[in-house]
Amino acid sequence: MISPSVLIFVSIIAGFVGALSGMGGGIILIPALTFFGLDIKQAIALSMISVIATSSGAASAYARDHLTNLKVGMFLEMFTMMGALAGASITVVSGQRFLFLIFGMVLLLSWGMSLVQYRAVWKPASRQDRFSQWLELEGKYYDQTEHRVVEYKAVRAPIGGVLMFIAGMIAGLLGIGAGAVKVLIHDLIMKLPPKVSTTTSNLIIGVTALAGTGVYLSAGFIRPGLAALVILGVVIGSFLGTRLFVRLSNQAVRWFFLVVLLALGVQMIWRGIRGVA
Amino acid sequence: MKISQTASRGWDMDLWVSGILRIGLSLSLTFITCGLVWKWHEVGAIRFDYSLPKTSVLQFVLEELHLLLRGTFRPRLLINLGIAILLLTPYVRVLVSVFYFAMVERNRKYTLFTLFVFLTLTYNLLFR
Repeated sequence: MISPSVLIFVSIIAGFVGALSGMGGGIILIPALTFFGLDIKQAIALSMISVIATSSGAASAYARDHLTNLKVGMFLEMFTMMGALAGASITVVSGQRFLFLIFGMVLLLSWGMSLVQYRAVWKPASRQDRFSQWLELEGKYYDQTEHRVVEYKAVRAPIGGVLMFIAGMIAGLLGIGAGAVKVLIHDLIMKLPPKVSTTTSNLIIGVTALAGTGVYLSAGFIRPGLAALVILGVVIGSFLGTRLFVRLSNQAVRWFFLVVLLALGVQMIWRGIRGVA
Repeated sequence: MKISQTASRGWDMDLWVSGILRIGLSLSLTFITCGLVWKWHEVGAIRFDYSLPKTSVLQFVLEELHLLLRGTFRPRLLINLGIAILLLTPYVRVLVSVFYFAMVERNRKYTLFTLFVFLTLTYNLLFR
């Protein structure tokens, strides 16, 4: 059985790396916990509950700065929440090897995405479709670096909704925030400015993670004594990570993170193929 | 200069969302930390591994309150309360949003959307 000191140490590291990379703690936490012998379903459930804590912390700061778009968040939340309920229910009944394989694949996919170093250059959508307009998906915020008010309109709300269901499903299935997937949908499909998409995604993640946690709680996967240590560790780690973020060069973080992701992804897939020992 | 995206009739919803999340998280972390410190003080270790029976959040919270009223006060109670508060944090945020869209902005569409999220979460958390 995993010892409390290892548990809290692993959680701090996961929160730390998660904040540094902007990928969230879960993607590191779950492979690490299973490495130390925790059952993958329990690791997923523990991670899911810690995601509520980290996303609430970040979302609180962003909402205070008026960067979050509450309407976009509320609309998309309906889809991610349903997705998370479906995903978590699948995890409850599925086999361990399946989860290792899926997790490994999502890890390698994030690895690939970080490698290409996707950067969206945001251009405001020229015209808004009628459905998105009806949904009032628009807003403005004050950009502190550009010293101007940025106005924007979101587009393609229906496709965005469907894709967010899938993002929510991945989140619920694997106990992660899946923030990167959500940001990608906001940026590429719905044409939200990067600042708004990151901040709004954090708000959505809270409800998504709560829906997933509800399923895991009713399945009896949550062990409060372990959850307490993980929640505390991840929050401490991400707090430290956010502080350090400004001081470290981007490239150093990037390469460190790429190596970690690759190793974890390969390890998870290997354990999925070989059978979980 | 900061612009609120969701403000109506002098009610700045962004600040409410921010406040609810911050207070919920701080309370939760305080309870959890106190529970761990207490446990450590009592037995010299922060190890306490116990599992919950399959339960809903409502049963979970009610059971804790029941124990509290009976005066059975122990570290486990603080930990469980901390976790319950964490779970209720996004839930309360959604509940307040329902009120905001229904009473302040009087936006029927978004009242329905938030109500849908609220009711689904309620069913999921309380009555499973």
